[in-house]
Amino acid sequence: MDQKYIIGIIAVLLIAVIGGALFMSGSGTPARADNELVVAAFSHGGEPEAGFDPMYGWGDRGEPLIQSTLMKMNRNMTYQNDLATSWKANDDFTEYTVNIRDGVKFTDNTTLDAEDVAFSYNQAKTTGEAVDLSTMDNATAVDKNTVKFTLNKPDSTFSDKLLYVGIVPSDSYNNETYGTNPVGSGPFKFVQWDKGQQVILEKNPDYYGKQPEFDKLTILFQQNEASFNSAKNHELDIAAVPLAYANETIDGYHAFLSESLDVRGISLPVQNNTGETNEDGVALGNNITADKSIREALNYGISRENISKGALNGVGVPNYDGISHLLPWYNKEAAIKDGDIDKAKDILKKGGWEDTDGDGIVEKDGVKASINLYYPSDASERQAIAVAVAEQAKEIGIEVNATGSNWDEMDTIKFTDPIVWGFGSTDPITMWGEYYSDQAGVGYNNPALVNNSAVDAHIDKAMSEPREASYAEWSDVSWDGTTGISPKGDAAWLWVSEIRYTYFVDDSLDISEDTFKLQPHGGDAFGNIYDWTRVSSLNETS
Amino acid sequence: MADKSKDVSSIYSPIAKMNLRTKTLLTIGLTVFILVAVVITSLFINSADITTNFNAMNQAPSFEHLFGTDWMGRDMFTRTMKGLGLSVQIGAGASILSSVIAIILAFVGSINSKLDSFIAWLVDLFLSVPHILLIILISIGLGGGAFGVTMGVALTHWTSLTRILRAEIKQINTSEFVKLSQRFGKSKIWIAKKHILPLVITQIIVGTILIFPHAIMHEASVTFLGFGLSPHEPAIGIILSESMKYLATGNWWLALFPGLALLIIVLLFDIAGENIKKLLDPTSANE
Repeated sequence: MDQKYIIGIIAVLLIAVIGGALFMSGSGTPARADNELVVAAFSHGGEPEAGFDPMYGWGDRGEPLIQSTLMKMNRNMTYQNDLATSWKANDDFTEYTVNIRDGVKFTDNTTLDAEDVAFSYNQAKTTGEAVDLSTMDNATAVDKNTVKFTLNKPDSTFSDKLLYVGIVPSDSYNNETYGTNPVGSGPFKFVQWDKGQQVILEKNPDYYGKQPEFDKLTILFQQNEASFNSAKNHELDIAAVPLAYANETIDGYHAFLSESLDVRGISLPVQNNTGETNEDGVALGNNITADKSIREALNYGISRENISKGALNGVGVPNYDGISHLLPWYNKEAAIKDGDIDKAKDILKKGGWEDTDGDGIVEKDGVKASINLYYPSDASERQAIAVAVAEQAKEIGIEVNATGSNWDEMDTIKFTDPIVWGFGSTDPITMWGEYYSDQAGVGYNNPALVNNSAVDAHIDKAMSEPREASYAEWSDVSWDGTTGISPKGDAAWLWVSEIRYTYFVDDSLDISEDTFKLQPHGGDAFGNIYDWTRVSSLNETS
Repeated sequence: MADKSKDVSSIYSPIAKMNLRTKTLLTIGLTVFILVAVVITSLFINSADITTNFNAMNQAPSFEHLFGTDWMGRDMFTRTMKGLGLSVQIGAGASILSSVIAIILAFVGSINSKLDSFIAWLVDLFLSVPHILLIILISIGLGGGAFGVTMGVALTHWTSLTRILRAEIKQINTSEFVKLSQRFGKSKIWIAKKHILPLVITQIIVGTILIFPHAIMHEASVTFLGFGLSPHEPAIGIILSESMKYLATGNWWLALFPGLALLIIVLLFDIAGENIKKLLDPTSANE
C-alpha cells in the first residue's frame, strides 16, 4: 500500500511546486526603509567561507566595505587615492613607497598607521589566500605615515596590489576570530553575520571618505533563482542573477547588464600527459590537446559569434585571448575568422587526423580525437558554452564530452582535461598567472601549461616597464606578429566570450551606472556604493 | 424488457464480456507494452542528439515540441523519454539486485535460528533508518553516478521482500511434506530447491516488480537532491532539479510534464505488479 502514499505525496508536491511558482507573483511590500539597502549581489551570492577577513581573500577583487584599501580604481582605469595620499616606485620597480593619511581610526577607535598597513600586507602574503603578493619580499613602516614595500623582482603591476588588500588593525588582529568579527576603517562597520544567510553592516560615521547615503546594508547570500525570486517578491534592492535570466522582466525592477572583464575560455593543455605531476600530485598534460592541429581546429572551427548570440543570450562578446576589449592591452590582432568548418577540417587533415572508421570523429594512430570538457554545474553560462562547443566540435570531427562537475572533482583533473574557466581583471598580472611557463600547474595558474619563451620574455619585460608604457608588451603576450598564446600562435586556449554580469535593480535605486566599476572575474557590485542614491521612496514604487 | 438498454451496452462492449482473468491479462499486456516501448524508445535516443537550439529557448508546449523546450532550446519530450528510460534501467538493476539480496538473506535465515534472528535484526535496522538518508550515504560512499545510485537503492530496498520470504519459508518449513523429506534424509539445499522455491517464486516475482516504483522514485529523488547521477546525464531527477531554476520565470512545463511522466511510469509498474500478483497468486485477488 505504501507506494500509493509515495505516489500521492509526489503528485501533491509536484502540483504544489508548480502552483507555487505560477502564483508566486510579486505582491510583497518592501520591509526595508528608504535609507536601508538589501542586496544579493556580493560576488554573485557566494558567501566568503573565511568570513570578512582580507587576509583570507575578503574584498581581494572588489570593495571590502568594512576595511579600507590604500587606493581605488576608477571606471576609466586610473588610480584614485584612498588611504594613501601619494605613492611612488623606484626606477626599476623593486621598491614602492606609499604615504598614508593621518588620523584615520578603526571602528574600535584605535588609530590606523603605517604599522597596520605593513602588517596587513605581510600577513596577506603569509596566508597566501588573498591577492597574489608573490613578488613582494616584505612591507615595512618607515614612519607613522610611510610604508615601504620591497620586491624580489621588478614588478610594475605591484601598484595594483595597493587596490585589493583591506587594512586590518595589527594590534588586535587574530586570524581565528577576525573573520567573524572584523574591525576596519571602511565606509561600513560590521554588525552581525548570520552564517549561510546574510551579513548586516551599518554606516561607519567616522569614515574619512565620501559617506554612502545608506545607514544600513544587508547582503543576502542568495544565488541564482533564489535571488531572482527575492526580487520578484520585492525583498531586495539588487539581485545578481545568472545570464540566462537576462531577458526576464520583473515589475518595479530594471535589468542592468554590467560590462565585465570576465572572459570564459577553455584550457587546452599543450603538453603530453607523460605521468608527470605537480607538487600536489595532480597529473599534467593531455595527449589529444597536446597536438596543435586539434587546438587550432577547435579555435578556427568553433563560431564564437554563435555562442555569444545563442548560449550567452546575445550579450556575449567574442574573445580570442582572454583579454577583455575594455582593457588597454586588448590586442585586436588576436582575432581570427572563426566558425570556418572547412578550414578546421583541413587543419585536422594536415595534422594527420582522419576519420577512418566512418563514425564522424577523426582518428590519428588509432587514437580517437575525443576530449572531456568539464564545467562547474552550478554555473549555467559555463554549461551553455560547454554544450555549444561540444555540438560545434562534432561537426569538425572532434568529440567533446561536456561534463558537469564541481571544483572538488575538477581540482584533480584541472591540468589534464579542458575546463571552462573564467579569468580577467584590471591587473595585467593575471596574464602572468595564466601564461607564464613557471606557473604551469601551480594552484589554478596556467592550466593550459603554456611554455613559450617569447611569452615569458614579453611578460618579464612588461613587468619592468612603467605600467602605462607596458600595455603594448602585455598585448604581445597574446600575439606579437610571430608567436603568442592566441589562436594564430600556440592556440593554447579556446577563449570563447566575454560575459556580462546581470543585475536586477529596484527602480527606486540609482546605482550610478556611469561610475559603476569594471567588474573583474568574481568582482562585486559595491565599488561605487558611495554614489548610489534612492531616487524615489520605496513605498511609491511598489 | 425494461433492462434492454443495459443489455445492449454490455453486449457491444467487449471489455464487459471478458472475465476477470482476461481483463487482468489485458491490463498486464498493455502496461508492459507501454513500459517496454518507453525503454526501447529511450535506447534509440542518443544523448548527443538532444541538441541545443538557441533560437527556440524556453518555448511553451506546442505540436512541434510536445513538452516545450528548456533554457538551451533542447526538446523536453526527447529529454524526458531518455530520462525515463534511464530511470527504468536503473530501477531494473536495483530491483533485481535487491531481490537477490532478499532471497539470499531469507534462505540463509532458514538455516538456523541464530542466523534468523540476526537477519530479523538487520531488517529492523535498515527499516529504522530513513531510506533516502541511507541511499544518499551509500551513493556518496560508492562514488556516486549510476553505479552508486543503483547500489544505494538496491541495498536499501530488500527489507520488505526479505520479511515476506522469511515468513513464507518459516511456514513452509513446518509443513508435513518438508518434515517428511527431512526424515528421508534430503539435504537442506534439496528441500530449498524442490519444496520451498516453487512455493515462493510468485512472491519473488511480484516482490521484484513492486520494488520497481520505489527504486525509480528514490533514484529520481536522490538525483534531484544532487547526490545521484551526474548533472550532464538526462535523468528525470536532473531534469526536475534543473527545472526548479526556471519555474520562477514561469516555465511550468519544464517540471510538469517530466514529473507527470515519471508518475505515470511508476503507476504503470504498480498496476502491472498488482495484476501479476492477482494472476500468479489467485487467492490474493479476493483480498
